Amino acid sequence: MSIDRETKRYLVWWLAFGVLMCLLPLGVGPGTLRILIFAHFLAMFAMSWDFLSGRTGYISFGHPFLIGIGGYTTAILSFRFGVPLYFSIPAAVVATMVGGTLFFLPALRIRGTYFALVTLAFMEILYQLTKVVAPKVTGGTRGISGLESIVTGAVNNYYLSFGIMFAIGVVLWLLIRTRLGVALSAIRMNEEAVRSTGHSTTKLKLFAFMVSAAVSGVGGAFYVHYIGSIAPRGMFEINFLFTILVAALLGGAETIIGPIMGAYFLTVLLEYLRPVMPGMERYLLYGGIALVLYVVRPAGIYSLIADAGRKMQEWRR
Amino acid sequence: MALQILIQGFVLSGLYALIAVGFTMIFSVGRVLNLAYGVYIMLGGYIYYAALQEAGLPVFASFILAILAGVTFGLLTYLLLVRRLEDNPIAVEISTLILAVVMQALIVVIFGAAPKTMWPVIRGVLRFEGISVTMNILLATGVSWIVLGGLTAFVRYTHLGRAIRAVSMDRKGAVISGIEPSFISMVTWAMSGAFGAIAGVFFATFTQLDSHMWVFPLIISVAVVIVGGIGSIVGSLIAAHIIGFVETITTTLIAAELRGVSTMLLIILVLLVRPKGLFGRAEL
Repeated sequence: MSIDRETKRYLVWWLAFGVLMCLLPLGVGPGTLRILIFAHFLAMFAMSWDFLSGRTGYISFGHPFLIGIGGYTTAILSFRFGVPLYFSIPAAVVATMVGGTLFFLPALRIRGTYFALVTLAFMEILYQLTKVVAPKVTGGTRGISGLESIVTGAVNNYYLSFGIMFAIGVVLWLLIRTRLGVALSAIRMNEEAVRSTGHSTTKLKLFAFMVSAAVSGVGGAFYVHYIGSIAPRGMFEINFLFTILVAALLGGAETIIGPIMGAYFLTVLLEYLRPVMPGMERYLLYGGIALVLYVVRPAGIYSLIADAGRKMQEWRR
Repeated sequence: MALQILIQGFVLSGLYALIAVGFTMIFSVGRVLNLAYGVYIMLGGYIYYAALQEAGLPVFASFILAILAGVTFGLLTYLLLVRRLEDNPIAVEISTLILAVVMQALIVVIFGAAPKTMWPVIRGVLRFEGISVTMNILLATGVSWIVLGGLTAFVRYTHLGRAIRAVSMDRKGAVISGIEPSFISMVTWAMSGAFGAIAGVFFATFTQLDSHMWVFPLIISVAVVIVGGIGSIVGSLIAAHIIGFVETITTTLIAAELRGVSTMLLIILVLLVRPKGLFGRAEL
């Protein structure tokens, strides 16, 4: 892959973003860092959602299904069977990709609105099953708590979560700049046209599903080890799905930086509203904001900023 | 055992048919999935509760208020949200899902997060051969049949009903015949809100009121549309019975906890085997 000027310019931005976030712990306290850790995990989930749904147009309403598989796999392996984390986390990623294959099967036959509903059904099934099937292993309704943590302290966890998120972001960004990424976007626009150019849309879709599942698996596994517990409620919930969706859409779907921005925006907003609005009012407010923004400006915050940047450039000329 | 399954199956299926009818209508006329439909059900339940048990209004007045709330909210969903996004079904799906979560938060803000128990609409238990069925759920089944029968007559024999059917079959053709599709859409959304609210009152007396109660009816509605195919009243009635009976059989014979799972598996199975539903595309 030859590096053109545009790619170079974006790489500089990525680098600046990375350096800035790495220097941040010098200036802010552990409370803020803990908020940002949540933003990093949310960003991973939102990027995973966006890589599948934003790119190919196969809207997933079941991402908590994938994240939950990742989380539960590592939780059960490490807590119940004493498997070390350096083995249980990769196993979780593999398990999530297997789950992603299950997810993929309906996409062979159905698309659009129906696909979203099937993925929602997947999530609900897993929610019911974790409660009743083998509660001795999954912990049933109460889940599992007291999971081993990977590193301790806000600063260490901040660097860990940021590192993973940053790596995922850069890898996904490089992926979508290849011809493969272009082909995936083309599926959203016109699947038949892609097929008629001789590409196998099945293979392309499978690829998108696998990447999305792997990212969800990594995110889910590290997330449960950070918070130290997992339970069906909170994991397989529409509210969780809603947060992921809103983060991706608010920031701007079909970009990599959009979901990251959305995640930061959402987490920080939620956190700063906590003293003023302790309960569900926050969901009311940001759901309302998300709804208005989605109707008025479907391309999200990123497009607002990108437009402003373009206008600035024109104005300077 | 067989008799128990038969009775419970019929009763449950009646409730499910009532729950799904408003959702199916929107889908067959506008070709969009309204994921905020569960909110009409929740709203119906909560408004009825607030009017009857907190304000002390009579049952009939509470019912009317619940229906009015459903109609208003249905119309608002259409006018403020769906009409702007109508050419993009996926955007409708995403935005109505967000709306549902917003409304869930609103319900918690107004009524609190603790679940509430509703009084049955009518009291009493009917016992038959050792099987007991509450009068309330029997009434729900009766109302369901009346509503579905009335709706069938409405779309067959009235001018407005026939116009709705025309739009659901062929939008362009309906416009050529002088039908205003946006007016028909508004009527459909209002009716959908009303049906949702009626179903909500019965659903809430059947289970309980809480801010998550919109999810299960939504899934049932989706299942009915998927199993029954698009927009046939008879098809969705049959689908509701398939779902109701599969659920009753699973819960009585296998395990009560698997209540939701059988429905989900049914959805996935039907979508994989017959993506257009068991009865395909029939007219409303």
